[in-house]
Amino acid sequence: MNLEFILNGRAVRLEAAADARLIDLLREPLGLTGTKEGCGEGECGACTVLVDDRPVNACLLLVMHVAGRSVVTIEGLGSAAAPSTLQQRFIDLGAAQCGFCTPGMLMSATALLWRNPHPTRDDVREAIAGNLCRCTGYDAIIEAVLAAARDGVAP
Amino acid sequence: MHNPSIDGARHVPAEDAPAKVCGELRYATDLTRPGLLHACLVLSPHGHADVLDIDATEVLALEGVVGVYSHANAPDTPYCRYRILPGQPGCIDDEALFARTVRCVGDRVAAVVATTRHAARTAALRLPVRFRLKDVLLDAEAALADGAPPIHPGGNLVHEFAHAATCDGVPAGTGITMQSDVATQMLHHAALEPHTCLADWDAAGRLTIWSPCQSVYGVRTVVADLLQLPYSRVRVIKVPMGGSFGGKQEAILEPITAFLAMRSRRPVQLTLDREQCVRATMVRPAQRSHVRTVTSRDGRLLELEVDTLLAAGGYASSSPDYAEAMAKKVTRLYRIGRYRHAGRVAYTNTPVAGGMRGWGAPDIATCVEIHLDRVARVHAINPLELRRRNLVAALDVDPMSGMSVGDARVGDCLERGAQAFGWANRFATEPGSGRYRRGVGLACGAHKNGMYRPDSPDSSSMTLKMNEDGSLDLNATIHEVGAGSLPTLRGIVARVLDVPVGHVSAGEADSETSPFDFGCFGSRMTYVCGAAAHAVANELLGLLRRRAAALLGAEPSTLVPRNGHLHAPDGRALSYGEVVVRSRMADGSDLIVTHTYRARSNPGSYSVQFAGVEVDTLTGLVRVTDMVCTVDIGRALDRTRVEGQCRGAIQAGIGSALCEEVRLDEAGRPASGGFRSYHIVNAADMPPVTVVLVEHEGDDGPFGAKSVGEIAAVPTTAAVVNAVNHALGTSLSTLPLTPERILEALDAEHHP
Ligand code: FES
Ligand code: FES
Repeated sequence: MNLEFILNGRAVRLEAAADARLIDLLREPLGLTGTKEGCGEGECGACTVLVDDRPVNACLLLVMHVAGRSVVTIEGLGSAAAPSTLQQRFIDLGAAQCGFCTPGMLMSATALLWRNPHPTRDDVREAIAGNLCRCTGYDAIIEAVLAAARDGVAP
Repeated sequence: MHNPSIDGARHVPAEDAPAKVCGELRYATDLTRPGLLHACLVLSPHGHADVLDIDATEVLALEGVVGVYSHANAPDTPYCRYRILPGQPGCIDDEALFARTVRCVGDRVAAVVATTRHAARTAALRLPVRFRLKDVLLDAEAALADGAPPIHPGGNLVHEFAHAATCDGVPAGTGITMQSDVATQMLHHAALEPHTCLADWDAAGRLTIWSPCQSVYGVRTVVADLLQLPYSRVRVIKVPMGGSFGGKQEAILEPITAFLAMRSRRPVQLTLDREQCVRATMVRPAQRSHVRTVTSRDGRLLELEVDTLLAAGGYASSSPDYAEAMAKKVTRLYRIGRYRHAGRVAYTNTPVAGGMRGWGAPDIATCVEIHLDRVARVHAINPLELRRRNLVAALDVDPMSGMSVGDARVGDCLERGAQAFGWANRFATEPGSGRYRRGVGLACGAHKNGMYRPDSPDSSSMTLKMNEDGSLDLNATIHEVGAGSLPTLRGIVARVLDVPVGHVSAGEADSETSPFDFGCFGSRMTYVCGAAAHAVANELLGLLRRRAAALLGAEPSTLVPRNGHLHAPDGRALSYGEVVVRSRMADGSDLIVTHTYRARSNPGSYSVQFAGVEVDTLTGLVRVTDMVCTVDIGRALDRTRVEGQCRGAIQAGIGSALCEEVRLDEAGRPASGGFRSYHIVNAADMPPVTVVLVEHEGDDGPFGAKSVGEIAAVPTTAAVVNAVNHALGTSLSTLPLTPERILEALDAEHHP
């Protein structure tokens, strides 16, 4: 199919198989390898991207469902040279150990801060409940999200 | 030796942290090469069967398929994935690239190589394989029963041992004998990054392997021996790793990926999906231990005997050493009049078992600590008091290894943890009799610091070079697993030489260029590799002082390193860069040293943990309400990192107590899917964890530091199980404590 959608704020138009998974489209033809595949079955959240500002598992979503929508991936938040506030908090507080869950975590947490700039600790735990992490025990991640919320600037 | 102190309150982020959080760090699955091919494995759906024939004709005709490999066209030399050194004792060569006889569900039958991932997968699903089924032995007991069909030609007993040790300080006498049986289950390591490997074969006949591994030299040995290549022709490069926890310690995908690249004469990438990771990599072994103690009236451990039966799965891998490791922990923790540990390791038709975080220490702690809570109950002693009466003290000698436990502070861990947790009051509080019951539990654990034993050395070689601007390059075989080995070693070098940490660079392991080191395991990173970094930095500092002294006409020992300069007593100073440049111009001398550090001790590392739980007696669900994790850390080099290790360890330990299990059906098939059927603790279920660090400086680690990543994972499971047993008045000891098991135990209590 001829697919048109907004990716990280820019219009893209390309030819894609309608039944391809969004994660494969992002990682291969588009080269956005920041989105990770941890399970491919919608259970780990490593592949989380935002579709119209809502967190979605890119390993389950078929590309036809993003036609005409806005998709934000980890590459759309900030760059190593200029990280977003939330990304900077992840760095400062040691919230990324191996870092494989991190892009997905950041997408879920960013979506949370967009819709709720002053979350409680439980709001954060709930928002990242679908993102598994084997390294951190989640505490540093939760602290980083709360610290970014305290910073008060856009995540 | 110059030995300044270090500020553990300051967190030094890893150099690649910005790239990690921005999705720019390239993991192995993100790498590509021109002409890259993709491989997909065909795994056995059967637990035990002969592979009769594989008809590749149709599949080879599919679009994109480049090759199909199986035992019919691949070397069948047996190897051991766990080997690091040629001739290493304890390695059993019983595995081949492709099985002729499959020995577990997930055993490798064939591999398809194709131009796209999709084509490889489609072809792998369609490859026709005929099997002749054989009897399946899922249980180690059944595998060792008389007349059990052999899984390997030599029979099903892989290894057995019996070790004993006596402790002089414990009075002889008679007491109360108690016995328990504790069973721990197969666990999936559950690193978020699936297993993956990339290999290339170049025109000059050299193999390069990019792997998120824990030992480039181990991978090199296994691959080079198997493919009959000189070691210098196999280059293994450690690439960023999305977690391991021991699951990527052994050469699992590297041999096959290397073989496929060599045959295809093109780069090949092999990545498993999550279900394949559960079935076809490694699990923590299932084991059952019979624990028997004799305790005096006042609660001293007169005798402790353990009999362990461990299921190795289809291949031996590290299971013999793993089982042996279980026998080496308890006498580092308690003074026991007579300790005996017998073990047997059996082949079973279950997923291949091997090392996991803690390497036997969590398994044995789970068995002994659950048992000790029963002992405390029978003696009517507070479980805390029972531990207090038996724990080792600083400078005790562990009778099993003959080594000192060093400046062991497990007693401080116990007392400070009890205080932080509010143990005295909470233990005295009744669990309640309504639907929700509350309980508390504690457990102690012991582990090690590296692999040094009097009869087997542990060492690490590193090269440190100073540049003309005073910056430094550390060349060491480091395998960053995400825990912060790189920033830790860089920080040690920076502190010794008093330069900003940003002035020290260090890359990761590359078997072609970085000096020999065993790898990142055995709790040796901080204590052994960290000490090596400390030593190489000191040696360079010595050289720097001598050169500067010559330039200044001063006595080397009077020069003080401060802020990138050497300061003479008379107020003159030279920057490090000036020393390098001027020495080079004066007589061509260089500032580079290579140091081989040999460990000379292996003190105990300790953790005592406390758990609070609430059990819903209607559903059998357990909620862990809070935990305290104490660690005898020696010195925390970076407190943020140490706490991160503790909390991550506890996440896994709670899972192994309550929900994690690779469960098999009667044919030996794991439940389908990956995380769909294997549940790990998520953020919503993770309790708050208070970390208490016991700091002191009495051992040989850099700045007094000891290990943390493994020890923090040792007592968690037992603490949670003990809390559940406290809440319910039960003696549950078969893990995990699923709702079904809990309801069954409550039922038995009501209808005895
Ligand atoms: S990879 Fe999509 S949820 Fe795990
Ligand atoms: S940081 Fe490794 S899985 Fe989360």
